[in-house]
Amino acid sequence: MLIPRFNYHKPSTLKEACELKAEFKNKAMFLAGGTDVIVNLKRGVISPDNLISLNSIAEMTSNSVNDKKGQTIIGASGKVAGLINEKFLLPYSALKTAMENIGSPIIRNMATIGGNIVTARPAADASPSLIAYKAKAVLNSVSGKREVSMDNFFVGVGKTVLNDDEILSAIILYNLPSYTGSAYIKFGTRKALEISLVNVAAVITLEKPDGPITDARIVMGAVGPVPLRAKTAEKILIGEKPGAGVFAKAAESAASKDSSPIDDFRGSAGYRRDMVKVLTERALKMALSDIR
Amino acid sequence: MKRLINITVNQKKYELAVDPNMTLADMIRVELKLTGTKKGCGLGECGACTVILDGKTVSSCLVLAVEADNRDVITIEGIETEKGLHPVQQAFVEKGAIQCGFCTPGMVLSAKTLLDENPHPDEQDIRKAISGNLCRCTGYQKIVEAVQSVSARK
Repeated sequence: MLIPRFNYHKPSTLKEACELKAEFKNKAMFLAGGTDVIVNLKRGVISPDNLISLNSIAEMTSNSVNDKKGQTIIGASGKVAGLINEKFLLPYSALKTAMENIGSPIIRNMATIGGNIVTARPAADASPSLIAYKAKAVLNSVSGKREVSMDNFFVGVGKTVLNDDEILSAIILYNLPSYTGSAYIKFGTRKALEISLVNVAAVITLEKPDGPITDARIVMGAVGPVPLRAKTAEKILIGEKPGAGVFAKAAESAASKDSSPIDDFRGSAGYRRDMVKVLTERALKMALSDIR
Repeated sequence: MKRLINITVNQKKYELAVDPNMTLADMIRVELKLTGTKKGCGLGECGACTVILDGKTVSSCLVLAVEADNRDVITIEGIETEKGLHPVQQAFVEKGAIQCGFCTPGMVLSAKTLLDENPHPDEQDIRKAISGNLCRCTGYQKIVEAVQSVSARK
């Protein structure tokens, strides 16, 4: 399979990359891990005049933990395989599990966390957890930078709030409050190289070790054009003592009120809805046992 | 316009002029004539084109040759030692882990990388490590046994 011709650019700073993108706008695409871009180039889905490599920009491949600010900044070009082994990821069980489920070991050695997000696939693994953790995306351009909540980052299938001249440079994760637990479940028919049929990320925070729930976030993937918050389910949980009864009630609501799956060759809408219920309940139980 | 890259393949340094749209897999097979690296799906799904790039396994069909500038590549041809086949290769032969052989180069490199990082993996570790390499002949059992036998000898 041949790749169409393009002009190749390899900036070594974020500033340089922003300048290139400002110059070429939608005539340029970024190349990070290549597990999506190269595939789409070969399939003829995309044929940009310019390809801007983001793999030699130190600011985008490094991470920094800032305890004073209570945040961790993850470079968007960081390899998934590398991030899985980072110590700072340990409290973020949902995100860690999500990253461990991307592609295969070979794909994880190439793919980047930024790439998993900007492609805006409804079934992407990293996105639901990032939304559940209230993470933010850092977008840079020649005119400066802005931070966008991951909750507002996705606009539609393959569409994000990124402008033609912007780069997703980093993701900000905030330190989790005490007594917070989280979990992510990816459901597909194979264990490797699989696209989620449904996936669910859940994060719950308790007031004290035995409850009640003060904050809850449930985000479902592959049941709508963008990862969806199960808002009615979250509402049911807040203020309640955690347990099987309230988890089942929330899961039922997530499936019937919050998800909007479609039929496709991977599964029917009805089946997906049933799976939302099962997975949400399980994810909540796992999040409860993950409380730290 | 071609670009000049410096690349180390199997401990040999090369200076090559490559088109930006040439993949690392094509560079290895066409320019360097190292045809042990196989091209299967071309989309990063089968693992036949696996090579080791800076110590990590990658699908060389999804890496542009220009992106491998100043980097270190090991292909299946690069793991033999002066004593003969690499222990993983030898184990594949002895355990009958090769049938048609198309997945074998990638499979061997994934197994070698696993054993370099974890000399005594359990069965699940092995199955996980080769989960990006598809084999349509063996059913994987003999491959897992081959990797286990190398681990037992260490």
